[in-house]
Amino acid sequence: MTAGSSRPALLVVDDEERILSALRRALRKEGYEIVAADTPQTALQWLSRRHFDAVLSDHKMPGMTGLQLLSQARELQPGVALLLITGWTEEIPRDQLTRVGVAALITKPWDDARLKATLRHCMAPRPAAPA
Amino acid sequence: MMQADAEVRIVVVTPVGTGADCDIVAALERLGPEAVISVTHDAAACLACCRDADIDLVVAHEGVGDGRVQILDALRSSGPPVIAVNEKASESAALQAFVRGASDCVTIGPEFADVMPVVALEQIHRWRRLTERGIAERRIQDLQHYNDNIIQNLNSALLVVDNTGTITTCNPPAEEILGGSESALSGRSLWDWFAGVDASEIHVARTLATGERFKGSESMLTRADGTEVPIGISCAPIIDTTGSRLGAVAVFSDLTEIKQLHRQFLQTEKMASIGQLAAGVAHEINNPMGFIHANLFQMAEYLVDIRKVVDEVEALVETVAGGDLDAIRAHTDRLSARAREVELDFVLSDFAKAIRESQEGSERIRHIVADLRDFSHHDTESRVLSDVNVCLDSTANIVWPMMKHLVVLDRQYDRDLSEIWCYPMQLKQVFMNLLVNAYQAIEERVGEGPRTGNIWLKTEERGRCVVVSVTDTGVGITPENLPRIFDPFFTTKKVGAGTGLGLSTCFNIVERHGGKLTAESIPGERTTFVVTLPRHDSLGGAPPRPNPDGRS
Repeated sequence: MTAGSSRPALLVVDDEERILSALRRALRKEGYEIVAADTPQTALQWLSRRHFDAVLSDHKMPGMTGLQLLSQARELQPGVALLLITGWTEEIPRDQLTRVGVAALITKPWDDARLKATLRHCMAPRPAAPA
Repeated sequence: MMQADAEVRIVVVTPVGTGADCDIVAALERLGPEAVISVTHDAAACLACCRDADIDLVVAHEGVGDGRVQILDALRSSGPPVIAVNEKASESAALQAFVRGASDCVTIGPEFADVMPVVALEQIHRWRRLTERGIAERRIQDLQHYNDNIIQNLNSALLVVDNTGTITTCNPPAEEILGGSESALSGRSLWDWFAGVDASEIHVARTLATGERFKGSESMLTRADGTEVPIGISCAPIIDTTGSRLGAVAVFSDLTEIKQLHRQFLQTEKMASIGQLAAGVAHEINNPMGFIHANLFQMAEYLVDIRKVVDEVEALVETVAGGDLDAIRAHTDRLSARAREVELDFVLSDFAKAIRESQEGSERIRHIVADLRDFSHHDTESRVLSDVNVCLDSTANIVWPMMKHLVVLDRQYDRDLSEIWCYPMQLKQVFMNLLVNAYQAIEERVGEGPRTGNIWLKTEERGRCVVVSVTDTGVGITPENLPRIFDPFFTTKKVGAGTGLGLSTCFNIVERHGGKLTAESIPGERTTFVVTLPRHDSLGGAPPRPNPDGRS
């Protein structure tokens, strides 16, 4: 646990390794501490082990949907910002997005500038979180 | 021998009070009890009798004078025979009677009682024979008229050909489809409408050759102007009472409109399936697109960083040319600092990695597009000889992406499967529906326990059929729903998730191939859909195609 770290922590989850690699590449200069998980199970292990400021997850994954994962992430870390990224937004039930409290829905392929702006917006206002 | 063997009705006309009536009646009574004799005394009464009953004979005495002439005139064209009875043997009187149309003439004399019944019976028999033949002829005419009425007023096209294929009868709808009037069509060879088609491919020709019957088969005929007309045809041999074939009768209808409607219907259904498919394919393409797009963006930024270093190198070259060692040293330090600043080593290695990953991504997209092309290829209007394994496999490839996160797919193909005559695109549509249904059934069950489900695809040959089965471990179908699943618009899916037409369309498509689509389900365990397709010939009839060695 890096309690003193000033860098915001971001957990990215996708069963597609290339997506994780591209996200790391895109966010390289954003100053986040990025942890990548290629299965929802690994992501849950990380979430139970340490604090994250935001989780950015794919939706369609083996064993568990991104929405289910984010719902569990919210239980484990109530203050965490939740973002869903998917190749087909039609498949996501809107009512569940609000219920789980997903802050942003991002479509693949994503717009680089908008992704960065969305993440900045979601991760910045954290008055309750310990810095 | 003189007696009548069945009831005969005779009308006698005599003047009143001459006694002639007694002689005539007495003579006629010798015909026996079957003779029913009425006596009248004038033309009006006699003709009234003839009108009211079926009279076989009129016997008219000369004593009624002009009345006899009236009777002869009235009955001459279509009435029963009239025998003239004269008091005296007079040639002129007899001649006059014959001229007026009497059938015979008898004179009252000593032999009258013997002659009269013989002449009467002869005339009665002659008349009976005439009327019977008339009735028979009329019956034949009526029957012909009746048949003509049926044939001409039939809504379906009907035509009859003789054993050589020459048209002998055809009705207005047939004229309309063939394009021409009956007078122009009668006597022409039906094969004119099947130019260039092998006789084994023409239903009527096969019926003439083998006596084979066809029901609801489909064919295509070509009019003289070159237009092609799709037809539905049923035909049977015409066999006479001795059992020999006289030709064939064919009933057919123009399927142009039905084909169009059907195409539209299939298109609608295809669009619905494509909607489901689009999600899977979009997902599968958008993943690699996602990282290729992001990588390109990043590579452009890397290039900006590299440019900064290259600019520094170019400037250094100029400094080196200047020959000032201190300046060169300072510039070299600046170059190193710039390289560190942009993390040049990382940028170069990650640039290469980004290119590799993007290349792999674009390769994946290329594969998906190739699968899509395989899937949509072969949208034919007519049956073609196709490998069912290929149809099934290209469909599975295209549907696979949308289900791979939930499904373990097992393909058990019989690699020696015979090719069948089919509409490959339509079969693919059936397979796609079955696969998507299987996937949705698994999706519905996942979350209630199991994390994934299984789908088994199996092809095999059973007898003269190719059998494809799709088995899944999804939620299954309840016994009360099972009999209804092939009904149009029946669905248990959420509103918007299914048209309710999928399985009914599948059922129709398989039926059009002469096959069967069946389902069995143990809810909560497994559900199997079985498509059985006959390996029949291109006509869709039952008989086998000739073997490759030429024997049929």
